[in-house]
Amino acid sequence: MKEQWRLLKTGFDTAFANMAIDRAVLVANSGGKVPPTVRFYGWIPPAISIGYFQSLTEEVDLDACKKLNVDYVRRITGGGAVFHDKELTYSIVISESHPETPKNIMESYGRICGAIIKGLKQLGIESSYAPINDIITNGKKISGSAQTRKLGTVLQHGTVLMDVDVDKMFSLLKVPNEKIKDKLIKDVKERVTSIRHILGKDASFEEVAEAMKVGFEKEFNVKLVEGKLSNEEVTLARKFEKECFGAKDWNHRR
Amino acid sequence: MRARSTYKVPNGKLLKIFLQYDEKNNSIDEINITGDFFAYPEEAIELIENKLKNMLLEREHLLRKIRSIIKEHNIQFIGLSAEGLTEGILMCKT
Repeated sequence: MKEQWRLLKTGFDTAFANMAIDRAVLVANSGGKVPPTVRFYGWIPPAISIGYFQSLTEEVDLDACKKLNVDYVRRITGGGAVFHDKELTYSIVISESHPETPKNIMESYGRICGAIIKGLKQLGIESSYAPINDIITNGKKISGSAQTRKLGTVLQHGTVLMDVDVDKMFSLLKVPNEKIKDKLIKDVKERVTSIRHILGKDASFEEVAEAMKVGFEKEFNVKLVEGKLSNEEVTLARKFEKECFGAKDWNHRR
Repeated sequence: MRARSTYKVPNGKLLKIFLQYDEKNNSIDEINITGDFFAYPEEAIELIENKLKNMLLEREHLLRKIRSIIKEHNIQFIGLSAEGLTEGILMCKT
């Protein structure tokens, strides 16, 4: 019989709640209290997440965020700034000692991205892994991911772009040189794509989630069984939301 | 003296360093290492920032120190390297 992992569909949440839930699941899993978990979620309002090592004010135009009702949050994972709008976000939490977890970090990026690639295939989209942390289709980025390892546990989260508004993204992110902003926007438009762009039509969040579920099941040869956050995870997530991701100290720490 | 640099690590990520240094002694007062790289464990960057305080701004010195911290604390970089970090720090002065 196939190993069963937990599937969480937590719907659309704020940036602070979303990052808090991923961290709560990591802590719960590290204590052996919940099985390996795959989660799908979205962002309301849209938000920018920045990598753990990035400087908030260096990367994000906070005034523009306020004006356009976009939240911002620092992740516990490294990597770059991401504008989360029309996308499905996935996360996976699994013990470092699980037989399906490559010990090598780069290998584990490749393995987890393999699930997303298989998921995209379900939607009729051929794609491939582009190290360090991207998935590309026709040479353009359609997904980016970031991984941390804490308490003997792997957390990787990432985005699957359903649609992308590069102009809006650049009104929120700071660019090093205003003079070359137009060129940058043009470059990014040429380097980034989305499910909508490839298929020529919209796919619903539910459709993409179902495809990604199959992708994870195939990649890891497991059955994903829909479940809920445990009471402990809910309590932990509220605590992390208040004390960490929703706190100025955390978001402005660099 | 305050200075900063932006450095694209070869085959890696974009490193942005904020440096406060003592011009007379050519040494680091305070350093902030930021960027879209990955480091495992993440706390390693704060550790490196602390351990680089008062270090001479000299290539061989910095490289040796950063390499020894990486080795001692079993730090793994992705999209960053000891050489890249050294280069980014020294670029603040140019």
